[in-house]
Amino acid sequence: MKRFTLFLGCQIPLRMASVEIAARKLFGRLHAELVDLEGYSCCPDPVVSRTMDRKMWLTLAARNLSLAEGVGLDVVPLCNGCYETLTEADAVLRREPETRREIGEILLRFGRKYGGGVRVRHFVEALHEDVGIDVIKEKVEKTLKVRAALHYGCHLFRPEEGEDTWRKPNMMKELVRATGADVVNYGVEHLCCGFPSMHADEAFSLKSMLLPKLEEMDRAKAECVVVVCPACTIQFETGQALLRRYGFRYEFPCIYLSELLALAFGVPSAELGLDFHRSPVQQLAQRLEGN
Amino acid sequence: MVTEIEVARSLQTWLNADMGNYSIPRERRINVVIKPASLRKAVKNLVEGYNPRFVTISAIDHGLDIELLYHFSIGGIVATLQATIPKEANEIDTITDMTPAAHFIEREINDLFGVKFRDHPEQRRLVLPGDWPPGDHPLRKPHEGVIPPSARLPVETLLSTGCLTTVSSYVKQRRERVGLPPAPPAVCSEKELLPEFQEIMRQTGFDGKAGYDWGKKKLRYK
Repeated sequence: MKRFTLFLGCQIPLRMASVEIAARKLFGRLHAELVDLEGYSCCPDPVVSRTMDRKMWLTLAARNLSLAEGVGLDVVPLCNGCYETLTEADAVLRREPETRREIGEILLRFGRKYGGGVRVRHFVEALHEDVGIDVIKEKVEKTLKVRAALHYGCHLFRPEEGEDTWRKPNMMKELVRATGADVVNYGVEHLCCGFPSMHADEAFSLKSMLLPKLEEMDRAKAECVVVVCPACTIQFETGQALLRRYGFRYEFPCIYLSELLALAFGVPSAELGLDFHRSPVQQLAQRLEGN
Repeated sequence: MVTEIEVARSLQTWLNADMGNYSIPRERRINVVIKPASLRKAVKNLVEGYNPRFVTISAIDHGLDIELLYHFSIGGIVATLQATIPKEANEIDTITDMTPAAHFIEREINDLFGVKFRDHPEQRRLVLPGDWPPGDHPLRKPHEGVIPPSARLPVETLLSTGCLTTVSSYVKQRRERVGLPPAPPAVCSEKELLPEFQEIMRQTGFDGKAGYDWGKKKLRYK
């Protein structure tokens, strides 16, 4: 049986628990055990926190890594942002001996130590490579008849050293295809959803970043957008609502990869708590169950 | 001839814990950080010990705080006392009675930055015209820190709980309804770990950079 340490982060358990419950059911059906990481904190986020205070960002990330090291399993975040923070903080601590010493001294004051022995696996990698795409395909009970637009999110493109930037996005694409969904090509898959720029300029973020993606998805006749990042989920769900103020009306259901896979594995939508979403994901799930 | 180190040691003896770090960035310059409440004591020490020439006061508005730099020339050494006052307090003692040349510059700083100099003998305008709107200080920045408006609530929540989002009773109920534990096993729901998290925020200096008030559990700006 495969075993992983689950790093839940903040947004998923507290704002979109349907993503968490779907992941737990999904890994359960794959006979893979998720061990909760006890006592973790915010990862913290790899954009605003790191820009504002690199030392704080690294110290909190190193504390989380030290907790994971204590468990002794590969750590699996469900969130693109947590994945990037933990991966990049680990890389920085390996690459910069002076920084490692400085952060190590702070951790020691709290009786903690990070020795660099944690492997961080995005849940896309854990599913595709560690569990195996063939095992996933075997577990699909319900073919999902839906035209899906994929939004990978910027952090899924961040390569580890020497890695092809499309390695993880391509894994996500294969996982979605494994459900039977038809992945539409809308041309701007790789562009940012605009979430970070919401802090600076809402109109720019919505009209210049999010809207072009929605327009292309609509043109490609997508019926939903599939994501692997809570920030992107928030941007697509609240962003579509906010765009009505500017005269644009889109209502794409924004479904998380874990939820899509759980539905394909035959988990009833009623068990997933899909009403956490602010886009019509529940309606989409009910339609897919009816097909 | 007096040296930079002698000035630092003399101030240290007078001020004890009221003196912070000092630095000698180059020959014949010394900067000494002091608590605002000990300003008069520090100036008295310099005046009585070294008979310095008062040069000027510089003011820097950092958004949440105003830094005041008191420059003195002591036998060719420029000694600068650095005192930072929070905008919420916005006042500091006058030194005009000890160094009369500070009379005008304190009035100018009051005009331009709005800092009040307690017990100044002549608290009236110096550089602003008489019809300038009262309470408008042209070099004073808005009372704001570095966190952008949309990130302020998450940052407050992060510093006070350890997570970006609050574990409200509503969230707990909803989690339980879908068969999950009421809260994740994170710092925000394991109260005994919160002090460790918050101490890390203090030791890395993030709380000060963000402008967080630990007493009120809020940022010092809305």
